[in-house]
Order: sequence, then structure tokens, then C-alpha cells
Amino acid sequence: MKRKLAVAVGLAAVASLTLAACSGDDSPSESSGPVTLTLSGWSLETTPEFQTLADGFHEENPDITIELKEYDPSEYNTLVTADLAAGVGPDIITQKEVKYVTTFQEGGQLMDVSDVELPDGIAGADSYKVDGVSYAVPYRNDSWVLFYNKAMFDAAGVDYPDGSWTWDDYADAAAALKAGGAPYGAYTHRWQSVIQGFANSQETQGDGVLSGDYGYMKSFYERALQMQNDGSMVDFNTSSANQLTYQGEFGKQDAAMMPMGTWYVATLIAQQASGDSDTFDWGIAPIPQLDSSTTDEPVTFGDPTGFGINANIDSSKVDAAKAFLAYAAGEKGASSLAAIGITPALTNDAVVDTYFSVEGAPTDELSKFAWSTHVVYPENPTSSKTAAIQGILGDMHTAIMSGSTSVDDAISQAEDRVKNEVGLD
Amino acid sequence: MSALLAPETEAEGLRKLGDPRPRDTRPVSTGRHVARVIGYVVLVVASVGVLMPFFWMVTSSLKEPNDVFSIPLQWLPDVPQWSNYAEIWFESGMLTWLRNTLILSVAVTFLQLLTGSFAAYGFARMRFPGRDWLFLVYIATIAVPWQSYMIPQFILLSNLKVSNTLWAIILLQAFGAFGVFLMKQYYETIPEELSEAARLDGLSEYAIWRRIMLPLSVPALASLGLLTFVNTWNDYLGPLIYLRDPSLWTVQLGLKSFVSNLFDTNYALLFAGLTISVIPIAIIFTLGQRYFVEGIATSGLKG
Amino acid sequence: MTTAVAPQTDAPPVTPRQRRRSRMKLRNALIGWSFILPNFAGFALLTLVPVLILFYMSFTNWNVFGKADFIGIANFQRLIGDGSFRTAVVNTLYYSVMHIPLTLVVSLGLALLLNTKLRGVRFFRTAAFFPYITSIVAIAMVWNLMFSPDYGPVNEILRFIGIQDPPGWLTSTEWAMPAVVIVSTWRDMGYYMILFLAGLQTIPRELHEAARVDGANVWQRFTNVTLPGLRPTTFFVTVMLTINSFKIFDLILVMTDGGPGQATLVLSQFIYRKGFEESQFGYASAASVALFFLCLIVTLVQFLINKRRNA
Repeated sequence: MKRKLAVAVGLAAVASLTLAACSGDDSPSESSGPVTLTLSGWSLETTPEFQTLADGFHEENPDITIELKEYDPSEYNTLVTADLAAGVGPDIITQKEVKYVTTFQEGGQLMDVSDVELPDGIAGADSYKVDGVSYAVPYRNDSWVLFYNKAMFDAAGVDYPDGSWTWDDYADAAAALKAGGAPYGAYTHRWQSVIQGFANSQETQGDGVLSGDYGYMKSFYERALQMQNDGSMVDFNTSSANQLTYQGEFGKQDAAMMPMGTWYVATLIAQQASGDSDTFDWGIAPIPQLDSSTTDEPVTFGDPTGFGINANIDSSKVDAAKAFLAYAAGEKGASSLAAIGITPALTNDAVVDTYFSVEGAPTDELSKFAWSTHVVYPENPTSSKTAAIQGILGDMHTAIMSGSTSVDDAISQAEDRVKNEVGLD
Repeated sequence: MSALLAPETEAEGLRKLGDPRPRDTRPVSTGRHVARVIGYVVLVVASVGVLMPFFWMVTSSLKEPNDVFSIPLQWLPDVPQWSNYAEIWFESGMLTWLRNTLILSVAVTFLQLLTGSFAAYGFARMRFPGRDWLFLVYIATIAVPWQSYMIPQFILLSNLKVSNTLWAIILLQAFGAFGVFLMKQYYETIPEELSEAARLDGLSEYAIWRRIMLPLSVPALASLGLLTFVNTWNDYLGPLIYLRDPSLWTVQLGLKSFVSNLFDTNYALLFAGLTISVIPIAIIFTLGQRYFVEGIATSGLKG
Repeated sequence: MTTAVAPQTDAPPVTPRQRRRSRMKLRNALIGWSFILPNFAGFALLTLVPVLILFYMSFTNWNVFGKADFIGIANFQRLIGDGSFRTAVVNTLYYSVMHIPLTLVVSLGLALLLNTKLRGVRFFRTAAFFPYITSIVAIAMVWNLMFSPDYGPVNEILRFIGIQDPPGWLTSTEWAMPAVVIVSTWRDMGYYMILFLAGLQTIPRELHEAARVDGANVWQRFTNVTLPGLRPTTFFVTVMLTINSFKIFDLILVMTDGGPGQATLVLSQFIYRKGFEESQFGYASAASVALFFLCLIVTLVQFLINKRRNA
């Protein structure tokens, strides 16, 4: 037995040596010739943004080629983590979710990119700053708006959103739509962010998640429960039992209104063209507000998507990688993204015009206003605690929305768990 | 219930090992008739409950994507969309995926049966110090969730340069403790006297394993083979981590990727693909089941 | 030759014999190892080494990217105070206590039923295995539909037979776990049925015949012939079933994702969340080690009971 144990421990030692060996064997070689950079992406066929940016950048810098490395979209974080741990990560690491940025940063996987120049007015750059140092640059920043079906509003005789709505107006409209014959006035998808993101941005200017105090969400949950009880909104349990998709609920005209991120604009246009969605007139409006004081510049939430540089990249490639980051975040990158229906992190008049010139896009002024004018607070603050807290708030969300726990109890349970399991500063 | 509790299977496949047994000629009583009827009723009700999700999957594979989930529940499509099958077959890499999955499943099953039954003989019939402890270690590692040591394993295999090859999955699955444990348990039911007799005849331990234990454990080998095959066939997380090159993808991996590459998850297409992927297993099972339900008459060898 | 391999011989105190015996012992050990080695080599490298690394990592604050500082038993101390971990342990045990006996009974019953010569039994055997080979995604979706509190067929049947207030199943904190147990039993029964079927083939038919001749009724034959003959299989199935119940993961993930609230949060999921969602791989490793010892203790108890029964 003892000998066996010794053998086993010996094997483990060998293994950990190999583990350690893998992390530091890139030899810097200075070369001025053509450079190839690898870039991580997902669902390349339906997420053309990576190829678009890679091609546009290559055109400007013929010496630098960007090679895409495809990952599974739902397991993106797991796979990139595994690759980085094994020392085979991409040169440029796309930051799909802000809540994992600190993981990569604390693990020493991201290079300081503070010296990459960003254009004025770009949104979301702060999400990548830790202690004042930038570890990635944003290139895309979706935010949440209200999608509505004009045909269903017309049929029910309800006025379109006019940009002045509060949440009470929204609830009234949903009830009126239902009364006017729509199957449902509104659809709220099952994600926690559809309730919590709005509460967090409008009640606490984005500071709520890390506060450990979640009483501010109460009124938002009560309104949602009220709406699902009176039938003006699809209820949470039905939605999860039937695995309803938001594309199906809005696209098949089951619900007349839906709060959703701007990424759905491109999807809806594509699905209407392909026939997967019904064809109807629709528009986007600013998300309802707490009161009329913020309707000039509506408050909403959204997280950026960004590019970071692998800290273990070959030193000869660093300049090329930084040049790519600057291109993707800059005006040229933004225009090329807008042209394919992506919401870039940088918006200006030219970008707005490009975006809405896509065939099938809404043409009304309110849609343009909703897309381009807003104060966006991050859904996930950049902190090593965010992922754990969001997990707890996710449990709270299903407890409340399924009707199995009262709002007050669920909130106080979540507050206790955050205090005990995560700890606050 | 007497008809149900008494095993009455015939040892057709291995008749030469057993006593030739005349057919049962006892008169069938009314009690047995009633038991039979009850047995059938139970079976029919049970198989409806058992096949229903599969039935739903097949009918859903013939629906339009946004009709798969609807209120109220819709069991049959209005117009069957056979094009879903055409689309998944012709527009995805289905053939490549099937080929990869088949290679993996066959290789893993073969290695697992071979090394598992070989090691099981060592554990079941050989005595040496530390044997029981080693065996306990084998079993205990089954208890560690794979997700928790997946990363160290991935780093190890990456350094051995086998990640992103089919070898990664073969190595990963082929040496599992499950097969060793299953075969050991089965060997222990085989009378020791058979081995003793063989030793008297001068057979080595290897020959005893090959010529006595293996033929006698066909039902166990068949069930182990089937379960290993199915597990490898349906594995998702392993191939996801290790097989990055699309030309190496398995059916489960390819389907998921194909479907999520559409604008949103198209469940009708996914289910069409999954239905296709179930067919080979169903065929293997139907053809192979006689191997694990037909008895091996060990008594015949005792004399 | 024959005496050489015979496992037990009496030990007379004669020295040359003793020497021969120890040589035989060595030889036996070598032969034993030669059987085990091909499997063990792969097992040690691919499973044992990563598991040992995991054990080490449970004493560190490893964040997956190389740097792992040794922090002693801090992770385990934290586990003890962690409310979610306690919830996960309780839920896992609750699930196992329901799932293990239920699956044992159902799969053994199925195996007995399908080990007969009834017409069409081949079809039913295939059917019973279908839940196991049907995609878990499809299974989760169908059962979620079935359990839908307002529209689901399950509650429609319950209302039809007069139960006015049927449970909310997956939407209720009390009933979510029983619903998961129903589905997992339904899914696993075909799997364990196959193992029982293989075990049933080892029972010599003559034993049944002899018992029948002695006038034993069906139940007596079942308890005196079938059950004892199945003991090695039952042991195997019980151990595997226990371990797999303690490790339940994918079905919960697709059916409830631990909800509503934390009603169905189980250990494997806790480990996955801590590791991959919160990047605390050291802490997740500690939870895995806890799960490992939980399984080890239960398995050891089962081993000892099995040994005593066999003796």
C-alpha cells in the first residue's frame, strides 16, 4: 500500500511539473514580417461581427491577418478558460461577459491595454477598468429597449409608446392590449436581468448589485407579479414549462410588447425575411422609466462586449494586437458593425444612419431615438464578487417569479446569502 | 404473477454448453393466463409512458421551429415538415459526425471490454496484498464529479499533445472503473470450481480468463458493451472540451453547434438530428439484446 | 502447478515450504498485477493523477490559471459555514434517499418482467431502454411540459381523478425535487434493468426447478433463489446508483437549474457554479473532496454489509 501511494504521489508530482512547465515557454522573436493573430469568437455563421472586423482591419493593414477561432457560444467561458489554463489560448480574447473579466484579469491572463486610444463618446469602456487600468476595449454595446408590435396596438386601439412612458403606463397599456384582444399585452423573458437590470439601473444608477441591499427591486417584482396574475403578461411558470423563446413570443405575435436588448433588432429583421417570424410592422421605444424626469435621456442597462489581449502573447505581436483593438473600437469599426445590424459601442449620427438603412429596420424617429439616446448603466459591475452575487440574485429571481416565495422573504434571504457567502467590502 | 417471476428464457445461443432441455410441457393454468394478461396491461401502459417523450421528440422534429413550444400543448404538427430531416442531413456535417461518433464508440467499447474484463479477473480471482484497497480507490474515483478535475486532465492531455484528436476521447473513456467493477461482480458469480478444474488441466490464469471466464460472462460483456457504447455515443461535455476541429465533431456536438449557429435555437431541427442519432443505438439494442437475456448454463460445465 | 496457484493452503511451519509459499505469493501478485496493469496504466494517468491534483488544489485558492497558494484547511472551514453548501448537501441526500430505493425496485421489477417469454417482450425491452438513449434536452423539455401546473397532462389527470389542488411540481419549492426524482427514475430504470437482466442469467434454472419441486411458492422462490443469486449484481447496482445519485447533475441542470430558489440545488451543481461560474476552483475542489468522502463512506458501509452477507 505504501509503495503504491508513493508511486501515485510520484505520478502526481510529474504531472504538476508538466502543468507548471506549460505556462512559460514563449520565446520572444522579433520579426517585422507578416503577423497572424488569433481571435476568439462564437457562432461565426450567425455572428458575422468577428469576420467583418477581421476583414476590415486586414484591408487597412495587409501585413496583419486575423484568424478566427470558433467556440461554442453557451460554453464559451468554460472553453476559453480551459484553453488559457493549458497555454493554448487565443492572442485576442473576446470578452463575452463582463462578469468574467476580473477572473481573467486576476488570473494574469489579460494585458494592460490602457494605451490603446479610444474615441470620445464610446460606451462601456469603464467596464474593463480595474483600479484605473484598462484590460480590454469595448466594440459593441447593446442596451435594453422596448420592442412593440404596431399592428397589435392598432388592432386593440391602443396608442403607441410615445417616449414618455413610465412603468405604470406600460402596465396600463399591457392590460388595455389584452382587453383589446391581444393574446398577451407583454412578454417578459425568464432572465433575471429583465427585472433586475431595470431596477438596478433606474433605482440605483448601477450600484445596486454590489450594495448587498435589494429592497429597491421590490416594486419591480410586485408589478411583474401583478401583470402575470391579471393575465396581461405571460406568466413565468408557463414560460419555463413551455420553454418559450422570446423570438417566438414576439415574432409569432403572441405578445404586443417586449423589453429586450438591441441585438434582437437584427434577429427580428432576419427572421421576418426568412419567414420564421410573422411579417408585421414594429418599432422600438425607450424602456419605460420610473417617472417623467428621465424621459429626455432614458435610463437603461446593458453590458459591452470587448476585446482583450492575452498576457502571454508573443511580444512581437503586441503592437499588431493593439492596433486591432483601436480599429475595432474606433469609428471605422463601428460603421462596419452598424452596417450588419450590430450595435457598436461608439454611436454618432453617421452610425445611426448606417444602422437604420438596413432593409427591414424600423424607420420612425422614436426608434432611432431609442436606439441612440440613453444613459446606459452596466448590468454587471466589474468586480470579483459580481458572478457570485448574480448567482444568488438568480436564485432569488426564480423563487419570486415562480410564486413559491414572497417578494419580501426572497429578498431578505438573498441579502443574508450575499452577506454570508460572498461578503461585502 | 408466477409467469413473470420465473425465468424461462432458453439458452439457444449457447446450447452446447448447457444441458439439452426439453420444452416445457406442463399444462397452463388459468392463474397463469390471468397473470399474463395483467403482465401485458402493465407492459402496454408502461411503454406508453416510457416512449411518450421520444414520440414527442419525433413529432416535434416535424414541426415548424416556432410551433415546437406552444400553449396548449400540441402533439402533432399541422403539416409534417419533412424538410427538417433533409436540411439536417444535407446541410450539416451529419455524415462526418456519425462517422466520428461511430469510431469513438466502437474503439472505446472495445478497449473498455478488453481492459475492464482483464483487470476484473485480477481483482476477482487473484490474491495479492493491497488488492481490496486498490479496488476501493478505483470505485471511489467514480465518485469525483468529472467537471471538477476536467481542467487538470485537459492540461495534462494538452501537454501530451492528444487534445483536439479523437485519441483524447478514446483515452478518456476507455479505462473507466465502471467496467472493471461490473465485470468483477459478474466473475464472482461464476463458480470457483470451474477455474479449479481448469487449473488441474494445466491451464494458465490467462487461458482461464480467455477460455472460461470470457465465454461465461457474455451477458455481462453485452450489457457493459451496450452501456459503454451508449454513453460514448451520447457524451457531450467530453467532446466539447477536447474536440475543437469541426472535422472531429461527434453527433451531439455537431448538432448543438449547427443548431446554435442558426439565429436562435431551432428545436425542430435539433430534434430531427437527435432522432437520427438515436436510430443506430436502437438498432444495436434490438439486435443485441438476446446476448444479455439468454442464460448461460454454468451447471453444464461442472461435471 | 495446481497447488501453486491455489489461493489458500494451510501453513505448516517448515522453512523450505514457507520459502516456496512466499515465492508463490510473489508470483501470484505479479500475475494479479499483470491482469490489472493495462487498465490501471490508463486509469492512473488519466483519472487518478488529475484526481490527486484536485485533492491538492482543495488546500489552495487556485483560480485555474496556474497560481495556487496553499491555504491549509481554510476551504473546508468555509464549506462548513456556507449555507448554500449545506443546502446542496441536504438536497443531494434528499434526492438520493428517494431516488435509490425507487430505482432499485422499479428496475428490478422491470428486469423480472422482461426476463420472461411473453410475446413482444423484445419490443418492451427496447422501449424500456429508450428513456436512457433519448436526448436529455428533449426529456427535460417534455417533462417540463408534462408538469406544467395549469396546462400539463399530469395535473389534468390528477384533477380528473378528483384531486382539486394538484401540486405545482417544478414551480413549487416542495414539489420540485419529487418531480425531478420521478423523471430521473423514469430515465435510469432501463439502464439498471439491463444490469439486472445480465445478473439474472447467472442464476441456474435448476435452482428454480428444485425450489418448485420442493413446493416453494412464487414469493418464496423470489426471496430464496432469485434475490440471493442476484446479490453481486444488486451490490453493484446499489453502489453505482448511490454514487450516481450523489453526483446527479445534468438532469437537474436542464430541468430546474437548481430552482425555484435553491430548492433543487445539488452538490455537483454547487461545485460547477463555484468553479466555472465564480472561478473559485480551489473552493470547488474542496467541495468535490467532500462529495468524494461522502460517497466513500456510504460505499464502504455497503462493502462491509455485502462482505458480512457473503460470509
